[in-house]
Amino acid sequence: MKRSVRRTSRKQNRREFLIKTGGALAAAAIGSPPIITHAAETVNIGALYPTTGSMAQIGVGCVAAAKLAVEMVNDAGGIKSLGGAKLNLIVSDVQSDTTVTRTETDRLISGNKLSAIHGCFASALTLIASEVAERAKVPIITGSSSDQLNKGRTYTFTPFARASQFAKAQLQMSKLVSDKPKVAVIFENTAFGTSTSNGLKELAPDEGVEIVMFEPYSAGFTDASPLVNKVKASGANALFSVSYLNDLILIVRTVKQVGLNVAINGGSGGFVIPDFYKNVGKLAEGLQGVAHWNHDMSDEAQKVNAEYKKRTGEFLFEYAGGLVAQTFMLADALERAGSTDPQKVREALSALDVSKGYAAMAPGGKVKFGPDGKNIYGRPVGVQWQNGDLASVFPKEDARAPLMKT
Amino acid sequence: MLEILAQAVINGLLIGGIYALVSIGVTLIFGVVKIVNFAQGEFVMIGMYISFFLATQFGIDPIVSLAVSMPVLFVIGVLIQHFLIRRVLGLNDLPQIFLTFALSLLIVNLSLMLFTANYRTVHTWYSDEAFRVGGLYIPVAKLVAFVLAMILSGALWIFLHTTDLGKAMRAASQNRDVAQLMGINPNRVFAVALGIALALAGAAGSLLMPFYPAYPLVGQVFVLMAFVAVVLGTLGNVIGALIASLLMGVAESLGIQFIGADSGLIVVFMLLLITLALRPSGLAGGRRR
Repeated sequence: MKRSVRRTSRKQNRREFLIKTGGALAAAAIGSPPIITHAAETVNIGALYPTTGSMAQIGVGCVAAAKLAVEMVNDAGGIKSLGGAKLNLIVSDVQSDTTVTRTETDRLISGNKLSAIHGCFASALTLIASEVAERAKVPIITGSSSDQLNKGRTYTFTPFARASQFAKAQLQMSKLVSDKPKVAVIFENTAFGTSTSNGLKELAPDEGVEIVMFEPYSAGFTDASPLVNKVKASGANALFSVSYLNDLILIVRTVKQVGLNVAINGGSGGFVIPDFYKNVGKLAEGLQGVAHWNHDMSDEAQKVNAEYKKRTGEFLFEYAGGLVAQTFMLADALERAGSTDPQKVREALSALDVSKGYAAMAPGGKVKFGPDGKNIYGRPVGVQWQNGDLASVFPKEDARAPLMKT
Repeated sequence: MLEILAQAVINGLLIGGIYALVSIGVTLIFGVVKIVNFAQGEFVMIGMYISFFLATQFGIDPIVSLAVSMPVLFVIGVLIQHFLIRRVLGLNDLPQIFLTFALSLLIVNLSLMLFTANYRTVHTWYSDEAFRVGGLYIPVAKLVAFVLAMILSGALWIFLHTTDLGKAMRAASQNRDVAQLMGINPNRVFAVALGIALALAGAAGSLLMPFYPAYPLVGQVFVLMAFVAVVLGTLGNVIGALIASLLMGVAESLGIQFIGADSGLIVVFMLLLITLALRPSGLAGGRRR
């Protein structure tokens, strides 16, 4: 009796063990990122993007742009001061998850001799990656907009407009549609949402804009109706929604359904990517947003856009376009550093000062970092959906098309 | 004020209908087969993609494509029962949990590979339409989804109470051993239960398609609510799950309206905790039907 019990329990354990290890192996197989390697003398650049999980769709576009940018640098002769060394992109999937971002960043840095890193698109992820990079003393360059990235960091570089600047531009744009803007601000309760909306709240009085509703929501809801119901009750004539794509699609469609007449400013994030128009269609026409980069800004930007469009069929969206510029900033720094040593690359990056070429593709056309890693010339550009494309409409000096009245 | 309240309740009920389809499936599987199906949300996702492709390739309205998504998922359910779940039934809970959890991971990652992470929407003529009654509005797509969800739930109830197979299913859920002694073939009953549960998930997917975008992780948005509803409405109780789902939809909507837009789930989970404290086995008490 006793023996047979023991035997079944051992069998049971073996089965349990097999299932558990099987699960662990499967998890490892899913999590392992593709690694591109070359044998020749190369400069390793780490790229951290969410290519699976809820943010995958933007992350995948980022990786495509990062590959295109590396090709452009390499085709132009690589890094000349390093004997024409080629850039080697090492992509790592951070799975839209903060914990994974921490371990993947660690793994990427300890497993490879990196000269610099770029990533992660979502501020919540970039904040973590930049912490890890700071500790390992590897420079990280990012288009993420959270102002926190400029606090107490020495290896983090942000060449584009900050969340607080986005806020100011959005407020100014609301005055284009109404003399007395009454704004409802709804934002997802993440690092990106909170920092952007707090910026809006702080700056509103100075810009003469009244905020009649200020409301965080949990991202990934099943139904936008209750939230839109609340906006309706607030009597707002303009709506700022700080959201990623899925929530924003539901919000815009619900606003139209309710028949609510508000000018929507979708901010950046999910609003300024081709998929937004694909999902919302004609309802998107005339909606406004802000971006740190737009594909109609300069000749260089349009050239890169054309190439990206040829490869993917979509226009080059904000984050991916900025990423191409970032790669050229890294190339510029490497050229001047004449070394693959991350410390020397950091020194060179902090002395970056460009006003032409692909590295200067930014609203305003100039990049130079201050001591906090912020581009001292950085500013956002106001955009509007016109005929299925994003046109730069604000401020005057960056406008490439007139504002369409809705 | 009253108008805002009424609108919030309407919004809650409408989305509650969708929660109901998902949670009834989970509770049916648990009641009859005694396993927790962690992959239920993924079958909603499959239903959505079926409707999406039928709509974009053949121009079939998502509501009509219910006639395809439900049978397809019924068959998938029977196959999963026959080839996977049947093999772990005699074992302890752990392999069963791992099985459905692994299934969920597998389906999500396969669809990421096949369909990419992009959002897909179907735009029908009624997607952005709404009935207006006084100051209130009722979105057409959601009303259609709600009504069909209620009809399907009602049909399931009638099936469980009037047909032999339905009665056998309830018998198996009440006491598996005695049911077997009465000559009920558990494998057949389990296969049908799985089939029906997945068909309901498929229906939820098709009904969602006119107003909710499909993407590989969409199931996880709905499955959380479904699990809460299943526990709230007493594990294994179909009517309990239905009522709990509607209740949760309303609680979430009222929470967003009157407490804060990030507090919808807080209200839902408060409701769950209070119910469990007062009636530990859920709203329907110890009864399983």
